[in-house]
Amino acid sequence: MPNDMEQLYQQRLARYTAAMRNEKPDRIPIRPFVAEFIARYAGFTCQDVVHDYEKAFEATRKCAADFDWDATVPNMVFVWTGLTEAISMKYYAVPGIHLPADKAFQYVEPPEEDAWMTEDDYDALIEDPTGYLYNVWLPRVANDVVAPGEPSTMRNNLSFVKGGMAMMQYFGGLAQQGQRLRAETGTVAAIAGILKTPFDIIADKLRGYKGLCMDLFRRPDKVIAACEALAPHLLEVASMTADPLRQVPVGLWMHRGCMPFLSPEQFERFYWPTLKWILCELHNRGIQTLFYAEGEWNPNLKYIAELPDLSIVYHVDRGDVEEVHRAVGHKFCLSGGIPNDVLAFGTPDDVRSACKKVIDTVARDGGYIMDASAIMQDDTRPENLRAMTDFTREYGQY
Amino acid sequence: MNEAPQTKRPPGTTIPWEEKLEEMPPITGDPELFERVWKQTDSLGYLYIYFCLLAF
Repeated sequence: MPNDMEQLYQQRLARYTAAMRNEKPDRIPIRPFVAEFIARYAGFTCQDVVHDYEKAFEATRKCAADFDWDATVPNMVFVWTGLTEAISMKYYAVPGIHLPADKAFQYVEPPEEDAWMTEDDYDALIEDPTGYLYNVWLPRVANDVVAPGEPSTMRNNLSFVKGGMAMMQYFGGLAQQGQRLRAETGTVAAIAGILKTPFDIIADKLRGYKGLCMDLFRRPDKVIAACEALAPHLLEVASMTADPLRQVPVGLWMHRGCMPFLSPEQFERFYWPTLKWILCELHNRGIQTLFYAEGEWNPNLKYIAELPDLSIVYHVDRGDVEEVHRAVGHKFCLSGGIPNDVLAFGTPDDVRSACKKVIDTVARDGGYIMDASAIMQDDTRPENLRAMTDFTREYGQY
Repeated sequence: MNEAPQTKRPPGTTIPWEEKLEEMPPITGDPELFERVWKQTDSLGYLYIYFCLLAF
C-alpha cells in the first residue's frame, strides 16, 4: 500500500494511463462518471450542486474519499447556473427556479421557429463563426446582451463583466478542486478540456435538432460548410484547454451522432468528416480524446475504426460492448458498458453480475476502464455503485 | 475534410493583432511585448464566447 497520498495518486495515474494506452495495468481502473449522484450521496439537492459549485466540489471529494476511485471528474455536474444567470442565459431550466429543487437542470431547446440561429444565418456563421457568435447568437440567447447597433445598457455591460469574472472564478476553483482531489484523496482528475462535435453544437445551441434535421434536406451544403467552419475553432478550444501534460484525455460528449438520430448515410456525410478531422488533429498534437459515444453507436463502428490507434478512449453506452470490443478493442481502450437501469433499479448482485460479464468479455487483456454506460444521475443507488466499485477492485485484478 | 477552411477571424482570435496594430500610434518600445500580451488577453475573449457555446 502507498504510504502517502502522492504515492497513491501516482499509482492510480499509472493504472489509469496504462489502461488508456490499451495496456494491462495491475488491475482495472475505476473511473465512474457521476453527476447528480454526488448530490444524492452527499445529502445535497440538485439545486445545491448546480447553483453553488463549492457544494458540487465538496460532494465530489466526499465520493472520491468514500468510494476510493482511481479517477473522477472534478465536477461532472459542470454547469454552474450562478454563472449562466449572471450572463442571463435563456436556455437553462434551473432547479429551484424553473424546476423543483431536487430535479436535475435541463437544457430547453426552443421551438423550431424560434431557433437561436435562423435558416438564413448560415452564410454569416460560415464566413466568421466567432463574429457571428458575439454579434448575433449571444444577444439572442442572453436576455441582457444587446446586439451591435442597439443602444447599450448597464445590464449589457454587466453581463460581460460578471460573466467574464465569474467564469474565471469558476475555472480557478475547478483547478483547485483537481489539486485537492490529488492531495486529499489521491484521486486523478479523469479528463481535461472541452470539446463538442460541430454537428452537435449546431443541433444543441444554434439551429436546434429539428431545425437541423430539416436543413439536412433543404440546405445540406450549408450544413456541411457550417460544420467545416466551426471545426477549426472547436479544435482550437480543445487544444487550449487540454491537459498540458497530455496525461488525461479531453472529454467529448456526443449527442446526435447515434442511431436513430442520424442514419449511417447521414452520419458519413454530415457528422463524421469534421469529427474525424478534429480527432486526428488532436492526436497529432499528442492529445487523446474521451469519445463518449452516448446512445447506440455500433452502426458507426466501421468509421471509428478509421481513427489512429490510441487516439481515443471509446466509452460504450447502449452499444453491444462485445461487438465494440471485436471492432475496435485492438485499437482503443474501452470504458463503460454497465447498464444504468441495473445501477438504478437492480440489486447489488445484479450489478456484480453485470460487471463480471463485461470484465470477462472485454477486459481480460487490459485496455478497459470500469464505468456505467451513461453519466450517473440521482437515480443510481449508492449500494449499487458501491457493489460496482468493490467487485471491480477484487475481480478486476490482473 | 482535409484541411481547415480560412475564416475571417482565425481560431484563437477575436481582434487580430494586425487589426489592432493599425489603430495604434507608432510603437517606440518593444513591439513583440505588445503583440504577445495583446494575443494573450485577446484569447480570453475568444475562450469566453466558445465556453458560452460549448459549456454553459
